[in-house]
Amino acid sequence: MAQALSSRQRSRQNFETWAWFFMRISGLILFFLALVHMFIMHIENDVTQTTVAFVAKRWQNPWWRLFDWLLLSLGLLHGGNGLRVVIDDYVKRASSRTFLKATLYSVAAALFLLGTITILTFR
Amino acid sequence: MSKSSTIYKGKTGQWAFILHRVTGFLVFLFILLHIIDVSTLNDPTVYNAIHQLYGNIFLRLFEVGLLFALLYHALNGLRVIMIDLWPGVIKNEKALFQFMLSLAIVLTLVGGYFIVKPFFVGVH
Repeated sequence: MAQALSSRQRSRQNFETWAWFFMRISGLILFFLALVHMFIMHIENDVTQTTVAFVAKRWQNPWWRLFDWLLLSLGLLHGGNGLRVVIDDYVKRASSRTFLKATLYSVAAALFLLGTITILTFR
Repeated sequence: MSKSSTIYKGKTGQWAFILHRVTGFLVFLFILLHIIDVSTLNDPTVYNAIHQLYGNIFLRLFEVGLLFALLYHALNGLRVIMIDLWPGVIKNEKALFQFMLSLAIVLTLVGGYFIVKPFFVGVH
């Protein structure tokens, strides 16, 4: 490239490189987490059997709570970042992009909190 | 020149890409709904009622659709990672796409059988 990048452009490039890397790593982890979760909840057990009693028994083991919390956080981050890129690609008006991304981040943050509270406070 | 000849139709890579985005978007929307339904855990009546509802035939078919979206997105994601990591893979990306799509369809049919079956014959 002929012209040197401004520090703002460079930090944007760095961010996108890390986002690319994050999508690969989180994607690989989610490959196992999401498919194992789907298998346990819909094939090994029937969905009508996954009652509060079922969850209570399962969450006696803190590792399953960690498993579900990882699925929650990585799912939101991976999906949220994916949707951020989709918005950048298809929404042409800058003000609409800002609005949609602000909505996305707020909803993702709120649901991250809701999910984390659910996992931590359930007895 | 006819109108259709000016529309870019792409090749397998483009279809793999579009399907990856659509399935990713659908799975993400489901995650949002799912976090809300699980948050009713501290109200057992509501939580159990919702999970009985998930057992009706329409939501079971929806779950089969979700399984396909998840499987396709996961398997095509592996394909994307392989293309990123190993330059030689791009030569076989079409075959790899066909393989991943077929595997997703086969696993959806197998899994779908187990998801829909209890509606007709009951659980176990």
